[in-house]
Amino acid sequence: MTKDLDLTDIQGNIIKAYGAYNYQKARYLFLRINNGDKGRKFVAAITTKVTTAISWNKSGASPAVEKPMATTNIAFTYVGLKALELPTASLRGFPEDFMMGMAKRKDILGDDGPSAPENWDNIWKERVHIWMSINAQNMEALIERYNWVVEQVEASGGGVTLLTGHRGDAGEDDLPYQEASVLYDEAGNSTPKEHFGYTDGIGDPVFEGQTNIAARVLGRGKLMRDGSWAPLATGEFLLGHVDEAMEYPKTAPSPTLLARNGTYMVYRKLHENVGTFNRFLDEQSKSFPGSKEMLAAKFAGRWRDNGAPIVKAPDDASKAEWDKAFEAADFAEKKRMLTDFTYNDDIHGAKCPYSAHLRRINPRGSLEYGVTNAYETPGALDDRRRILRRGLPYGSVKDATRDDGNHGIIFMALNVDIQRQFEFIQQQWINYANDFKEGNDKEVLLGNHDASHPGKVVLQVEPGSGKPPHFVNNIPRLVETRGGDYFFIPSITALKLIAAGMVDPT
Amino acid sequence: MSNIAGKAYAMNVITPIRWYTTWTNKLFFKAATLLPSTLKGLQTLSLIHYARWVIIPRDGFPHLDSSQPKEDLHYAYMLFFSNFNGSWDQYVDSFTFAIPSGLDLFWKWNIRYPKSVPLTPFHNYIRHNQIDTAHYYNAYPMAASNDVKSAQKIKKALIRFNTESSDKSPEDFLQDYYRLLNDLQHHFGDMKPTPIVSLSSYEVKKRYEQTRF
Repeated sequence: MTKDLDLTDIQGNIIKAYGAYNYQKARYLFLRINNGDKGRKFVAAITTKVTTAISWNKSGASPAVEKPMATTNIAFTYVGLKALELPTASLRGFPEDFMMGMAKRKDILGDDGPSAPENWDNIWKERVHIWMSINAQNMEALIERYNWVVEQVEASGGGVTLLTGHRGDAGEDDLPYQEASVLYDEAGNSTPKEHFGYTDGIGDPVFEGQTNIAARVLGRGKLMRDGSWAPLATGEFLLGHVDEAMEYPKTAPSPTLLARNGTYMVYRKLHENVGTFNRFLDEQSKSFPGSKEMLAAKFAGRWRDNGAPIVKAPDDASKAEWDKAFEAADFAEKKRMLTDFTYNDDIHGAKCPYSAHLRRINPRGSLEYGVTNAYETPGALDDRRRILRRGLPYGSVKDATRDDGNHGIIFMALNVDIQRQFEFIQQQWINYANDFKEGNDKEVLLGNHDASHPGKVVLQVEPGSGKPPHFVNNIPRLVETRGGDYFFIPSITALKLIAAGMVDPT
Repeated sequence: MSNIAGKAYAMNVITPIRWYTTWTNKLFFKAATLLPSTLKGLQTLSLIHYARWVIIPRDGFPHLDSSQPKEDLHYAYMLFFSNFNGSWDQYVDSFTFAIPSGLDLFWKWNIRYPKSVPLTPFHNYIRHNQIDTAHYYNAYPMAASNDVKSAQKIKKALIRFNTESSDKSPEDFLQDYYRLLNDLQHHFGDMKPTPIVSLSSYEVKKRYEQTRF
């Protein structure tokens, strides 16, 4: 592809999952703007240190860009942009979902019961205007950058307030930041795991304008009729670029300079009920015809230990074979083995169940149900529902039998149209399954299962085999929302315009 | 008045078409009915209860009484009528992603039809020509069409299973039962009230709940 992105104009967290670049530590800060003028000055000060998407230390690049010890990024809620006194003509160009914010979308997102906004961390009882992230290669760099931000807050002369109200490991509920970190194994090495033991962060979408596309696009772009993979349109993830419907995203505010190279971010703090999950998995695996690990893999679509796609390693025996090949493979081949697959040989879900997390969030052409040429392309129903996933685990599991520790995931979804992309996946594919012909059977891990009417899913088997499918019953709520909101991540150009009070929708 | 009943949405779209080109549309409709493969995209999109296109000639609108003034229409009209599960956006989006060329074929000769891609002009065209539903009766407002199809299939299979297996030995019965579960494994989805079709559907839901209790 020939499209070049203006990487110096795009915020770095849009293009890079920092965790994959050895940024193991993060803090997420939320601020309120008390005064438009002073607030804009604060934005100007922060903008000087905002990390762009430029490639680091590329051989032959001139001038070479050093990889920083810490990154900084910034985004705004709708009320935040209002507090910064953007012109009304610009404000009214934002989409409804973003204007409303996440709490008011609870009925679409299924944030009910323990996930309902009244049960969120205290910080979400505040008026949140600004989101900031610091990702760092070590704790010292993290604290240094954090202290710098605090200095900027102090220098704003009351113009902005750093909000408190995050829960912490020691039972605090008034911390001024949300801490997050990769998880470490017993030897102290960083891992790509989350608290349920799954390997996370494999296979983000690949879109036009990214580098090294040919190697990365397999299983991560859009599935074409001839079985090949093509990068998705840039406009699915960045405003001001043409999207999969051959137009500029209509969620862009005016003027173009405000929107272009920006995007929307869904920030969600997801608490993981580790004790309940472990008990549930133990209990269910007693009646499951296969190992406990195989059952865990059926829930996610990937095996917990190394992320092997279950469609390629559908049982314990084939998993052992897959592991051998994986061990012998080089780095590039390992990556390919993790992402390059479809459900074409598994139309009925006997290997990867329809309810598996992986199949639900990215059906990879399987919504054609094997009816060749039903749609324009096999992935026609998937291509406009993709999201970039960012984030890190937070907290630690001190007692694996309990739910009430401080442990979960800071999840961020990036897309140009929250309603069409993130909300659709959450509402229609996680918490509902008509598209998968499974009625109201929710996805096992993330579904908002109801304690009074616990959910169930059917793990399909080979049709005509005479074997019964396996029913997983009494699914409790394994993940609970603890807070979050919808944010706009502006480009560097837009940040400068906002800071200068020069946004002009004419 | 609402286009929404429970999980379902009723859509009427009526678009002008030059009366002297309606024969081409009728030909396409005929061809599509005779060649079912042209409609397989539509059929595979399981959120659709049904979709129907009808040509109304310019002198074909009902004239119920002599007191009703005669209209003088320049155009014939194409009526598109569909019931589906999900929101307006979700439906129109799925339609255009999945079968853009099919839509273009059916609407091609309609006045000011913009083509289905890019999306926004198509959205505007459909919304502009949509007649909102004044009254919508839905026998199973909380059921998606897949739920109804699955329920029918399970009922039929269970009745048959009951007749065929009632006298069998426990071993054979178990084998038959497993086979039955295998045959029906894609039809066991739960049926519950969620998801809501749009935030404006609260009132509709409230009315529905009032009729239940």
